[in-house]
Amino acid sequence: MGAITRGIKGFFAKLYLWIFCKFFTFIIVITLSLKRKRMSHDNGIGAIGRATIVKNQKFPAHDFFEPGQVFDLRIRHASATFLDDAMNCIRSMSIKFSKNEFKSPFDLEMNTGEISLFWSAWSFFKFAQLRKEKYGVEYIEYYKKYPEGLEGAKIALRRNPNSFHDLRYYSKTPFKFKGKDDIKRYAKYRIIPFDNIPETGIVDNLSDVDTGNQRIFPNETRGRNYLKEEYETRVKTQEVKYRLQIQIRTAQDDENPEIFNNMVPWNEEMFPWHDLAVLEIEKTLNWEDSTRTGFSLNNMPKTLGYIPAKSIYDYNSLNYMRAHSEWARKARMFSYKIFKFPRPIPNDDDRNSEDWKKIQKNKVSKFLRS
Amino acid sequence: MAIYPPNKTQKDIDEVYKRAYERTKIIYPKKKTFFSPRLRTLHQISIDKGYLASTLVGIGDFCIDLVAACIAAVKKINRKIFPREDVIHGTKKDSYVTGKITFAKKNDLTTPIHHMQVEFWARTFFGGWRKMSSGHTDEEGVFKLYFDFIEAKKFKYRRSFHFEIHQVEHVFFNQDSGEPRKKVSVFDSFKVKKSDLTGMGYDLGLIQLFYWEYRDDVPIPRVVIKEQNEDAPEYYSEGRNEAAAEQFIPIEIIKDKHLLQIKRNPQSISIESIQDDYPTNLTVAMEREIPGSTRCDYWFGRRMMNGMSCATFLPDEKEKGKYWVKIFGSCDYEVNQEFAFPTVYGQFKIADNGLPLPTKIIVKGQTDAYNKNPFQEKTFTPNDGEKWEQAKRIMRVSSALSSEIDDHFAGTHLNTEQYAIAVRRNVRLNPVAELLLPHLKEVTLINHTADTNLIGPGYIPRASAMTAEGIIERSKDALGTHDWKNWKPMEPISEQHTFAIASNLFWDVVHQFVDYFFDENEEDIKKYWYEIYCMSNDLVNNSVPLFLSEQDSRKWTGEERELNQDRIEYNHLRACFDNTLSRDIINGKKKSISSITKSKNTPAEGDMDNLKDMCKYAIMVATFLHTYVNEHQYEDIGEVLYCSLGLRYGDKEDGIFQPENDYSIAPDLTRATQMMWFSNLLSRTEYGFITRNEEHDIHPYFSKLLLDKKEEFAKLHVNVENIESRTNI
Repeated sequence: MGAITRGIKGFFAKLYLWIFCKFFTFIIVITLSLKRKRMSHDNGIGAIGRATIVKNQKFPAHDFFEPGQVFDLRIRHASATFLDDAMNCIRSMSIKFSKNEFKSPFDLEMNTGEISLFWSAWSFFKFAQLRKEKYGVEYIEYYKKYPEGLEGAKIALRRNPNSFHDLRYYSKTPFKFKGKDDIKRYAKYRIIPFDNIPETGIVDNLSDVDTGNQRIFPNETRGRNYLKEEYETRVKTQEVKYRLQIQIRTAQDDENPEIFNNMVPWNEEMFPWHDLAVLEIEKTLNWEDSTRTGFSLNNMPKTLGYIPAKSIYDYNSLNYMRAHSEWARKARMFSYKIFKFPRPIPNDDDRNSEDWKKIQKNKVSKFLRS
Repeated sequence: MAIYPPNKTQKDIDEVYKRAYERTKIIYPKKKTFFSPRLRTLHQISIDKGYLASTLVGIGDFCIDLVAACIAAVKKINRKIFPREDVIHGTKKDSYVTGKITFAKKNDLTTPIHHMQVEFWARTFFGGWRKMSSGHTDEEGVFKLYFDFIEAKKFKYRRSFHFEIHQVEHVFFNQDSGEPRKKVSVFDSFKVKKSDLTGMGYDLGLIQLFYWEYRDDVPIPRVVIKEQNEDAPEYYSEGRNEAAAEQFIPIEIIKDKHLLQIKRNPQSISIESIQDDYPTNLTVAMEREIPGSTRCDYWFGRRMMNGMSCATFLPDEKEKGKYWVKIFGSCDYEVNQEFAFPTVYGQFKIADNGLPLPTKIIVKGQTDAYNKNPFQEKTFTPNDGEKWEQAKRIMRVSSALSSEIDDHFAGTHLNTEQYAIAVRRNVRLNPVAELLLPHLKEVTLINHTADTNLIGPGYIPRASAMTAEGIIERSKDALGTHDWKNWKPMEPISEQHTFAIASNLFWDVVHQFVDYFFDENEEDIKKYWYEIYCMSNDLVNNSVPLFLSEQDSRKWTGEERELNQDRIEYNHLRACFDNTLSRDIINGKKKSISSITKSKNTPAEGDMDNLKDMCKYAIMVATFLHTYVNEHQYEDIGEVLYCSLGLRYGDKEDGIFQPENDYSIAPDLTRATQMMWFSNLLSRTEYGFITRNEEHDIHPYFSKLLLDKKEEFAKLHVNVENIESRTNI
């Protein structure tokens, strides 16, 4: 009887999760994608290069990660959510083992900070609900209510880093990892600079009150696109290399759900980071190609994909939701075709802004005048 | 009048005293009937409002009572149907609600409320209460209540969860084992949306509570009470309100009747008829049997020593074997120009029977409406005939008012309140809470009532020389002579000094009880020492400055210096105040109360003894010392002409030196009935006694220790059954 009840409850919890994700995606499509916007990471720059799987592997062997194998690589760095690189933002690096704008055998989406600002689909919903952005200040109410969200923000926000290249990016929520030995494992990924130079942009002693204030410093001299421009120059003039690393742990029958919690980093003593691949960047992409680039957690081998979630409160529901937001990307691509391609972010004085619409309007009117 | 009334002896007076005492003993009336007037709470009473006399108000009140009873019944049924079981639902502890609790008053915002009990509850769709988590705030006022997130998200729970802050309302004891049981009540609660719970932490933020806040509108440590019946930090127990209603309604009706008579037909009422309408008090009963028995020198000395004033006898440095009793009058406090309040020094010798006999009375200060010199002196001896009788009456009256303000109001009520506030604000997990709370409860409520009924626009400013501001200032000064450190009861000066002997006997009982309690609970007392540290800080920081220490003594005139030095010396002796101790100076003010500890987490050497001494002192003040002065009011200020709280100057040249039958100096009719109402209110409405233990809130060992000494106390004219467990009237 108990098993049947559990089964029915489990079914409805999953159904609710599915409906929740689809509904959420629908909202994103309506409110953002059809307006040629991503959900958050519009302000970015793409690049291509190659990824070489390390030969001396210290993690369990996997069919996909054959030692020495070389993949095409397409990446995109971005600052969320504002259209101003000099603001205090989460920075991201998404990669795909392909030069294609979307299709790929292996995608990863990573952000700065070892922990996140939300930990489940429901938590993400509250995060979105309580954003209440105004003039570059946001999430005040969210941070007040959710101490872990606040802590995550403090850890993940980067102000005025020297380069996208200097930062550390974490996948945070674990993925499946079933290697050649067919043992069920979980994996987390991160990317660090190849030479492991010190990370820049970390804000120390950020007060609880100031965390929500992401505005640029007074008298800021850095431009709105300084990070993207720096990255472009760096790729042209220097060798830009990263290490993709992996953290592995074996699945247990009596698993503590907390191991899936993206707010709880795995102990590095017990689960050390191992080099997985070396990522070498060859050239940056222009604004159009960068904007067109899309990533999906569905672009993964079955043995490396996201872990199924049981409910909207499940820590794995975050990746589940990401994977189920494919329609948002498709809608955005569709909107590019219908409404023309969005214009790049100008180097003007509209600072602390995330007004995508304004940028597009300005450009259109200028375009019409010309 | 000689030492005894004509043809009477001490034996005659002692016998008539015994008979009168038995006759005038307070007897509890029967329970109220359906048609009886009602008194919802003690705070409802008013010195002049005809509260019970109005039929319309009575009907309205009955309706309100009916509605209140219905609401109470519904709540009771609700509690029965949906009990709050102390079972935590859910097994995991993977999510939490957090926050920080501090005081809310503007200069108290950063003070955390430590060790406050907090609980997190859910309600099912069918109304059932389910406890999700419980705990306490830490020393920084921060709480973190872990609960099972998946359990909390179950469909069966309603959309809102309840975060509750609890406070200990009452402490009870198992009368067989002595095991304490705390009755907690919800002090404040907040709803938390179920949808806001996301699986990790949920921060309720900074919760600021108006919780046992110190008032800043008076210079004495008092608690803020906005509305006594609905927004008070504590409430009377049900039994206390019922007892007050039972005992006091007849008195209230008499007063209301008198006020109506005075308003409509003043000729129909006189001081004699007012006196006759109220229950007969001790002096009236004695006078009826032996006229002059309460006006003779023997009775005067006896009551000075063992009556309401229980005066301090200071050995006369010049005349061996003689003593001075000093009653300080209006001094430099604000007074009106209607009533006299002179300073009176009485010289006594101890007679062969061990009781004091007055030999000289010096009246200092203004005694008539014309000569306002505050340092004029008049000396009287038993050879002065009628003037001697008048001087004795003046000394009785000054002594009564001084005793009422200095000893009763400041020395016990306000003194107890400052300990009550410090304990309530800080002591929760420490067993000292169980020791002290039963004795410190309800004092803030009765003091709040006193603010309006006795001070504010109340009885004392209307019927005596002191203005409301004067009373507050005098109370502050008086409080500056009270400290727990090195305190001990008054030394008896003869075997007939029953007050002092009984005080010492009771002090021994308190010693035994507190020592026993500390032996039983020493480990936990040390474990939660932080609470004692905070309590000590609150106690010291909010205590009044040392007596007269705020005055610039360099500006005193010679006469002022002499008087003030007399006051300091006498009052320190009276309150057994050790002036040699070094005391904390805060904001340039030397504080009257000594610190218990300076050690934050564990007691330093001597700290445990300090705490014990403080507890003993607080219990002594709240119980025996208050009871003594309170219950003797009915005997010593229960007859208008024998002793009121003020004599009017009148318009004669001799001022207050007039016989009792000159009503121009006695209180007028309104004040006369108010005075009777007042003395009856204070003495007849006692509730909560140590040995009767009506609510089982007294440790059985304390009751037992006291009952074991019943006979010894009885020989000292103290009925242990009548010693209150707390100051609540």
